[in-house]
Amino acid sequence: MNLDFSQIVPYIPFMIEGIWVTLQFVIVAIIIGFIIGTVLALFKIGSIKPLRMFADAYTSMFRGTPLILQLMIIYLATPQLFAYDISPFLSAVLAFGLNSSAYVSEIIRAGILAVDKGQTEAAVALGVPYREMMIDIILPQALKNILPALMNEFITLTKESAIVSTIGYLDLMRRAQVVGANIYLNFEPLLFVGLIYWGLIMVLSLLGKWLERRLSVGD
Amino acid sequence: MIKVEHLSKSFGQNEVLSDISIDIEKGEVVSVIGPSGSGKSTFLRCINLLEKPTDGVITVAGQDLTAKKTNVTKARETIGMVFQHFYLFPHLTVLENLTYAPIKVKKLTKQDAQEKGRELLKRVGLSDKEDAYPNSLSGGQKQRVAIARALAMEPELMLFDEPTSALDPEMVKEVLDVMKDLAHSGMTMLVVTHEMGFAREVADRVLFLDQGLLVEQGEPEAFFSAPKTERAKAFLDKIL
Ligand SMILES: Nc1ncnc2c1ncn2[C@@H]1O[C@H](COP(=O)(O)OP(=O)(O)OP(=O)(O)O)[C@@H](O)[C@H]1O
Ligand SMILES: [Mg+2]
Repeated sequence: MNLDFSQIVPYIPFMIEGIWVTLQFVIVAIIIGFIIGTVLALFKIGSIKPLRMFADAYTSMFRGTPLILQLMIIYLATPQLFAYDISPFLSAVLAFGLNSSAYVSEIIRAGILAVDKGQTEAAVALGVPYREMMIDIILPQALKNILPALMNEFITLTKESAIVSTIGYLDLMRRAQVVGANIYLNFEPLLFVGLIYWGLIMVLSLLGKWLERRLSVGD
Repeated sequence: MIKVEHLSKSFGQNEVLSDISIDIEKGEVVSVIGPSGSGKSTFLRCINLLEKPTDGVITVAGQDLTAKKTNVTKARETIGMVFQHFYLFPHLTVLENLTYAPIKVKKLTKQDAQEKGRELLKRVGLSDKEDAYPNSLSGGQKQRVAIARALAMEPELMLFDEPTSALDPEMVKEVLDVMKDLAHSGMTMLVVTHEMGFAREVADRVLFLDQGLLVEQGEPEAFFSAPKTERAKAFLDKIL
């Protein structure tokens, strides 16, 4: 075994920069996912059938195909179909945002359904309209179930984000490959970003645990 | 106050209430009793349209709730409901539970709602709990808060669905006392209960439901001492 970590030292700032590049698009993606996911979840629990069917079909499609395929379609097919030269960043954000919204909608739907039916009945019996009931009574209680699961989704997304390296987006993963090609050593840079990913995920997990504890204070 | 005409309710093929008609006057306290599954809860829930009747007309305080153009959400403001399992809002304090609907629905100012809320907490004997969260209360306390929450909307009618059935025996009395007090204050009440003592003592009238039919009704004394129907007799023999 000939390992030489000293070779990667000049490239460390370059790779560390990748943390922010990765987080940047993951954060934008999760926000998009959350917004679209909330709308989809409301479609799913609502009483309007076409919307419900649309949300179900959407979820099924995005969960039923590989994420890397969705990414490729957005990155490679958009120029072909719309003559628009889509950037790797936009492709990545779109693919991850749309994909994540399918999962998030399930998380939110389940979170809302997990709130005791009696809460709805009590609010309805008091004459509280649907909108106010959802916003003031149901969603705050659902959030308790939703936030920890959302944090998990965030973690999954961060890990999966490495596949955007395949479309040339300069994220952590891609940077490791670039460095590897420059110094003709692959293991060291890969190990290095591996540790960064791991650290990132640990931090997010701890954040999630802390959040969960904070939320269960009222019980 | 309440007029129920030819009320029927089916869940799919299962007819749970069949052709029930009844008049309840303002200030009257009516107990609904009957075996499990006889449709008591469904009957109560039809009156504030938590269940949509399959057939029939329900008029509360002069308003036909079953008419198409009726704003049911608005109409429910005048009908308070107390559930077996309380259903307090767990993320709100006791006082916030009482003030939420008056502020949101009746557009009271926060101050007025709180003043009213505190008055009601005093009435149910829980003044010291206004900042507590529901999960820190005993069952009896929860149910008293639930009653106060319903009263905060100043309803003209109160529905109770087995308000003491989920309570430990030693807490039944505190809740029944609040209900008695309410009955004496002239509130119109419809109470599904297994507490025959309450039905006997406080109610002006008893309704006996069995298999979705209003089998018998009458004054408590007469009903409990000399039921007219075989079914009521059999039911009372079993429970008394
Ligand atoms: N949402 C529903 N869907 C289908 N069937 C229902 C529903 N609610 C009640 N039922 C059925 O209607 C019948 C009457 O139920 P209900 O709850 O009104 O009885 P009850 O007299 O209140 O009984 P208990 O004393 O056990 O509370 C039962 O057979 C029940 O299974
Ligand atoms: Mg019942």
